[in-house]
Amino acid sequence: MDVDLLEKGVAQALRRSDPILSRFNPLPRILFVNDFDSGTNGWCELSGNHDNNLDNLRARARDLRPPQLSTMTFFDTGTHGSIDGSYSMKLATRPKPGHMSQAIKRFTYAKLGLVQFEMYFTFKAETIYPVPGSPDTRWDGNYDPSVLQFGDFTISNDVGEGQDGERYHCALRYENTDREGELSQRWMYKTSVQPTTKMERNGTARSPDDYHVVDPGDWEPVPGGYQPLCYNEIPTKANWHYLRWVFDTRTRRNTELQVNDLTMDLREIPVPIYEHKYWGCERLLNFCLDVRTRRPVRNFLWVDSVVASVDW
Amino acid sequence: MMKRCITSVLEQGNVWEESFATEPFEAGWASEARWFVRILDPVPAERLSITLTPQISPDGILWCDDTDSGAGLQLDLPVASTQLFTLPQRQFGNWLRLKVDFGGSGTPVKFLIYLVLKE
Repeated sequence: MDVDLLEKGVAQALRRSDPILSRFNPLPRILFVNDFDSGTNGWCELSGNHDNNLDNLRARARDLRPPQLSTMTFFDTGTHGSIDGSYSMKLATRPKPGHMSQAIKRFTYAKLGLVQFEMYFTFKAETIYPVPGSPDTRWDGNYDPSVLQFGDFTISNDVGEGQDGERYHCALRYENTDREGELSQRWMYKTSVQPTTKMERNGTARSPDDYHVVDPGDWEPVPGGYQPLCYNEIPTKANWHYLRWVFDTRTRRNTELQVNDLTMDLREIPVPIYEHKYWGCERLLNFCLDVRTRRPVRNFLWVDSVVASVDW
Repeated sequence: MMKRCITSVLEQGNVWEESFATEPFEAGWASEARWFVRILDPVPAERLSITLTPQISPDGILWCDDTDSGAGLQLDLPVASTQLFTLPQRQFGNWLRLKVDFGGSGTPVKFLIYLVLKE
């Protein structure tokens, strides 16, 4: 009897009989299953480094807003709820152009290899009550100009190999609108490192406009990454999307990104690595989600559930 | 399951020079809420008064004072940065925020505001 094959078959049968896990496709070992009906599950507000004096938080790594357990409640229809139950995790920006909200889950790794992050998500800009007497004539009953009020959201990691190793962030952004505010609806990868508190303090980086990169233009389109997602016509209808992202801590690269029926091969895309070392980040493995508005309108990213898994 | 309790920092040392309200926060899962407010740097009492008023909303867009929580708390300035002010909220629905009214303006005030929610 092939014990490994038997174990794999039993594990797959058990996972497929679980209503939550059967929506996912995890690698052999599951690190965590987070359904936000049961709480925030260790996802918390990202904050930069400081010396207990909050004045020393760098500008782009402060006020990133605490995640909320959301019922996804709208003014017109009330509570939308989540896939199962009532709650999802919501990241919400301030109504301020360029403001970003980021949540993080902090882990370490026990072995190098493939790491897979899966989630069900949806996104919207906040509803704005119309000014009486001045309707937006662009609304035609199907197309809703509110789609232009949503900026982007990004999935990223933070991997630290320790004092003698490398540190890097893989980051993949869904750019709904571009820098000119036009609908672009494409996946992007970044081409420079994320400026850190250490870099700002030692003068090797200025405070960035974009949290993830040195210069806001340091992003390139993922080949084949044009993907209109389901807006469903108005800002108070939200449809859940499936996302599966794989990265490889052996090659220090993204492997692939699947969003619904689109799968992008990312193995040839370079990931920027810091030129200097970081103390205290031994076997660091963080998972991050953020949303950013480009307009004076709150932007929201809701996550129903997350599964992270590895290949060891 | 253990009862859930979550502390969120809604103002992380942010500086305001005029009246404001904290960002809308969803709290429908909680049966109790409590605000904690600190003012981190000294404020000259003769130039300013500050009043805290909890607010509620059905949609996170339009707000009214939560009159069940009292008439608002006027802070007795000046205060030490270690001094805490607190206000409870119950029977609130889903959305919470804290309105911070400045009597007088133009004086920068640095706030650390926590919202503690529990089942």
